[in-house]
Amino acid sequence: MKMNNYKIYEVLKFMPKDINEMIEKLPALILDSIEEIRLRLGKPLILYGGGKEYLLDKNGRLVFDEKNAYICSIADIKNAVSLVTNFSMYSFEDDIRNGFVTIDGGHRVGICGKVVLENGKVRTMRDISFVNYRVARQVLGAADKVLNYILSSDHSIYNTLIISPPQCGKTTILRDLIRQISSGIPAMGYKGRKIGLIDERNEIAACSLGLPKNDVGIRTDVLDGCPKAEGIQIMIRSMSPEIIATDEIGRSEDAGAVLDAINAGVKIITTIHGSDIGDFLRKPALDNLHKYLFERYIIMSRRLGVGTIEAVLDADYKALKNTLTKEKLQ
Amino acid sequence: MMLKIIGGLLILTACGLMGIAAANKFGQRPKDIRRFRASVQMLETEIIYGCTPLPQAFHNISTKLEGALKLFYSMVSEDLQIGCSNSFGTSWSKGLDKLLQGTNLDIADKELIEDFGKVLGSSDREDQKKHFGLFYIQLKQHEEMAEEARRKNEKMYKSLGFLSGVVIFILLV
Repeated sequence: MKMNNYKIYEVLKFMPKDINEMIEKLPALILDSIEEIRLRLGKPLILYGGGKEYLLDKNGRLVFDEKNAYICSIADIKNAVSLVTNFSMYSFEDDIRNGFVTIDGGHRVGICGKVVLENGKVRTMRDISFVNYRVARQVLGAADKVLNYILSSDHSIYNTLIISPPQCGKTTILRDLIRQISSGIPAMGYKGRKIGLIDERNEIAACSLGLPKNDVGIRTDVLDGCPKAEGIQIMIRSMSPEIIATDEIGRSEDAGAVLDAINAGVKIITTIHGSDIGDFLRKPALDNLHKYLFERYIIMSRRLGVGTIEAVLDADYKALKNTLTKEKLQ
Repeated sequence: MMLKIIGGLLILTACGLMGIAAANKFGQRPKDIRRFRASVQMLETEIIYGCTPLPQAFHNISTKLEGALKLFYSMVSEDLQIGCSNSFGTSWSKGLDKLLQGTNLDIADKELIEDFGKVLGSSDREDQKKHFGLFYIQLKQHEEMAEEARRKNEKMYKSLGFLSGVVIFILLV
């Protein structure tokens, strides 16, 4: 029997059959570390995991020379896209426009091809020839290191912004924060809070048929696939949340909605792309969030591996905690 | 003498019936094409207005149909859901083989429908709508040809059956 507790098997289900069989033959240790599986038309199939790159031949054996590697055919790419979209590209129009589809289990599949424009906006993508499967892992306890800085003494939380470049575990930390704050933390005597989660790209809770596939806590309501700005309004109006959580704010509408939420007395946890506090302050679209709105900033990187916490800053951008080198090493 | 007449009548009816059966085949094909087109129209509604993914759409349609078409749609839906096929096209063709056994569609119809399976689900809604439009026009052509063949052949096969019965009767007597 195969060990189906690996998250990777959830992803392999959505891969063309022969490629699936090739990858399944990998040693369990490598299989479990896989983070990305990349298909490029006419180019070798490449897997990434644990900072390493793997090439396979058509029998699923590891090879080091790309000349021996398995080359992705047009049928492979077509079948991959077809499987990922449940044989129905038309029902994933919005996702394709955004460049990725979220499959069961919260895994993301990025796609690239020829973009078709209409009135200067992306209408759809044709001739898809690059596919990237990204394995999403829920790490329970990922937020333990920062939790102390976020919980406030009045049993609530501080408005928190997580600043991180892509691929550094920003969403993983956010998800775990939501889970712990929502379910409560008995060890710290912290009672759970009502959280409204606006999961625009379906990757935090990873809902499938309305049910969160990831654990996001027992007091969390999820608004799935809703644009953030509208979602925040809907949440405040309908679900009376104490905390609103959302991922990757960036546009000025988002900033306006976050401001509205804070003014309505709701706490906020959210994230942006960036590598330090300066990146946040330089984003003109978020101008009205710059001044003292957030009480905690968590800066992340992958300097010591995915999920490195570089610093936690307070409202005046003063460090509460610097480079956690020691703790990371323990 | 009596026996001869009864035997002759038997031969006559048998040959007549064979003629009618052969003629019916031509009469059924246009009807089957029309029925199939109606089911594809349901599919279009599911796709364009409901945005339903194909496995679910096929299931929904199969519950509204009967006979060979019901079997076709439920078979394709199941094949897609158990995830044993790589592409929609292979499931569609597999179902189509079964559909041909249960109806009077011919090999030309099969090719047309098979080609449609290659584009179904593989693009956005606007594009799918165009494919449906084109498919209806092609199905209409097949229907007209089938109708034409029916007009030509139905009568011929019926009289041929009866006349061959008469010939055999005369020869035997």
